[in-house]
Amino acid sequence: MIRKCLNALGTTALALAVGTAGAWAQSITIAIGSEPSTLDPQLRDDGGERQVNDNIYETLMARKADGALIPGLAAAAPERVSESAWEFVLREGIEFHNGEPFNADAVVASVERIIDPTNKSEQLAYLGTIVSAEKVDETTVRILTDGPDPILPSRMYWMKMIPPQHAQSGNLDEQPVGTGPYKFVDWQHGSEIRIEANEGYWGGAPEIDEVTYRFVTESGTRLSGLMSGEFDVITNLLPEYTSAVPKFAAVEGLETSVFILGADNALTSDPKVREALNLAIDRESMAKNLFGGYATVAKGQPVNPKAFGYNPDLQPYPYDPERAKALIAEAGATGKTLRVNGESGRWLKDREQIEAVAGYWAETGLEVDIVIEEFSQYLDSLMGDGPRPDSIFLANSNELLDADRESTFLLHMNGPAYSNSDTGLTEKLSKARTMIDEQERQALYHEVYEYVRGQNYLVPLFHLQDIYGLSERMEWTPRVDAKLLVSEMSVTE
Amino acid sequence: MTQQQARNSAQATWRANASALAQELWRDKTGLVSLIILVGIVAMALFAPLIAPFDPAAQSLSHRLTPPAWLDRGVWTHPLGTDHLGRDILSRIIWGARLTLLIGSCVVLFGGALGTAVGLWAGYNGGRTDNILMRIVDIQVSFPGILLILLIVSVMGTSVVTLIVVLSLTNWMVFARFVRGTVMSLRQSAYVEAAEIVGCHPARILFRHILPNLITPLLVLSILEFTNIVLAEAALSFLGLGIQPPATSWGLDIASGRDYIYIAWWLVTFPGICIVSLVLSLNLFSSWVRITTDPQEREKRFAHSYMSRRGKRS
Repeated sequence: MIRKCLNALGTTALALAVGTAGAWAQSITIAIGSEPSTLDPQLRDDGGERQVNDNIYETLMARKADGALIPGLAAAAPERVSESAWEFVLREGIEFHNGEPFNADAVVASVERIIDPTNKSEQLAYLGTIVSAEKVDETTVRILTDGPDPILPSRMYWMKMIPPQHAQSGNLDEQPVGTGPYKFVDWQHGSEIRIEANEGYWGGAPEIDEVTYRFVTESGTRLSGLMSGEFDVITNLLPEYTSAVPKFAAVEGLETSVFILGADNALTSDPKVREALNLAIDRESMAKNLFGGYATVAKGQPVNPKAFGYNPDLQPYPYDPERAKALIAEAGATGKTLRVNGESGRWLKDREQIEAVAGYWAETGLEVDIVIEEFSQYLDSLMGDGPRPDSIFLANSNELLDADRESTFLLHMNGPAYSNSDTGLTEKLSKARTMIDEQERQALYHEVYEYVRGQNYLVPLFHLQDIYGLSERMEWTPRVDAKLLVSEMSVTE
Repeated sequence: MTQQQARNSAQATWRANASALAQELWRDKTGLVSLIILVGIVAMALFAPLIAPFDPAAQSLSHRLTPPAWLDRGVWTHPLGTDHLGRDILSRIIWGARLTLLIGSCVVLFGGALGTAVGLWAGYNGGRTDNILMRIVDIQVSFPGILLILLIVSVMGTSVVTLIVVLSLTNWMVFARFVRGTVMSLRQSAYVEAAEIVGCHPARILFRHILPNLITPLLVLSILEFTNIVLAEAALSFLGLGIQPPATSWGLDIASGRDYIYIAWWLVTFPGICIVSLVLSLNLFSSWVRITTDPQEREKRFAHSYMSRRGKRS
């Protein structure tokens, strides 16, 4: 009996020894905020889905960690072959995880599937200008747009390439198959998704062998999971916790918080009132105290500093409460009611930014009426057909890293959230959308945002940083585009 | 006996009753303490402008997350510390008591009145009326509350009144079910039958003969419901469907402070302690009220204290 026990012990010890030897196979656990609604990479605009699929699928264009656009599955940067056509040459010899070859046919199939109206892809918001794709030869593809589209290469950074046969006959929803550095293993709904290293990856096998994604909605739960060693990477860490976690990493992200002012509303149509609202806010103090320095004061414009069209010469609005008060008095607006619309819980410290700014505005002599809305109602106030709010908060994300995104969304009169009737501005923005010459286009955006700053149509606040909590053993520099690319991470043990 | 004498003796009886009640309360220490806490909270709400040291909405970002005075970095200007926007927590608690109490009691009053009326009617009439009313209750119970709330808020806009209406409309059913059940059993009792035979009007039977039996249990149910309302209000306000800043309530302060629980526990702890003491006092006091107003319970209590006194003597 005792011998049996000893035997068993010996075997266990042996197993343990083998286990440690095999521990070079490194695995990590990442906590993400929401479970993907699907693992089909082409249908939804879903952050949870992207966080997983960014590791499985690849795109023709990619970005470096600092945001610079580089060729991905394309062999080189695309060329314009006519007004409305771009030609991509593809890398050779790449295969999907299921053995299908990646070639011109796969690109054409991917494009056709995503723009097919019956698929109702939510990603068309980023890809709306694309009309079709043509195969030139086995490794050359042309993408055709409905007019000149200067930012098509950035758009192609959004479109994940799918294997045509698997898309036809397989189940893309549940069985993602891409060309990327990781292969899908399994998805236990409601609990976790696992992926493993693709040893045959064309860019070289990644360092971490296994990744488990867990879905944790509560930020407090994510934090305690990190502290207890359950998770290696967590997203959306509050600045206050950077000193509490084992390790953290911060990077200037894609989001910029801003208030849109209703330039046609009774109170805010007065340029003096709008100027006062911009001067009344102590942005430096908010960045320092509220964000602990993990936010940068926007330089008088809502455009992301990494984006094409950003005007580095503009100055942030100064903090001048006396002048603001005087302007409100001059405009005869003292005691009038300013409505401040906003939401709660969607963006980093949203409610706090709204309440803090409203507090500054109340000091100018205006009556401030804060309305925190339920999210769907808020979206209706932001983008609906109803009357425009006096001022509404949002954190605008620039996924294309081009000033076109902010311009179209916040200011252009065909955009969803504009609050002005400045036809001259809209004309200029329309022109900038289709301009081919980069220099001229850049100059036009610079001019536009200088003008917008002077008109005070917007109250730009901060460029927000993304903060990640990491376990002691993780080595990782987060990316500007907020992608969680595991192939860029490593583990020290 | 002259009129003057009659009045005097009535006053004397009243005084005797009151002092007997006070004595009884004095003997039941939990009841007494809970009453004192309740009176304190109500006084705090009533006199908020006089006793709050700061404007509850006055923010100062450079002084945010100051801990309570007795900890390091704490200052006595903010005895309970400051929140994530540098607002004084003590002042917020004092002002928050107003809306917390106002909403809680109004909802219990309106929701309770509606539910009781429906329950009385259904329970007394029985038959088809009962069937229809109780199916309405069932439908309302199974209907997702948040949907109804969204609907009402989108029509009426957010305000304290909306919040009271919304919570009343989603919380009356429990009263209706409870009252109906009790009325159905009382309907069979001899004195109700007697009143019917004598020819009393149904309204008189309901309000004169049946309702008084319900007062004590209704009181207890109301107090229990009150605690639910406080929590529901906090949840709605946090989603942006209830109280709008700069106004505040205890629940809302907890909801917006919970992200900071690991580094600034005082944001949620102090309003939390307030809710707990309010709810606990209400529960303890309601149980004292129940025992004091129920003749059978009184008998038991009397017997108990009598036995213990005898036990001591021997």
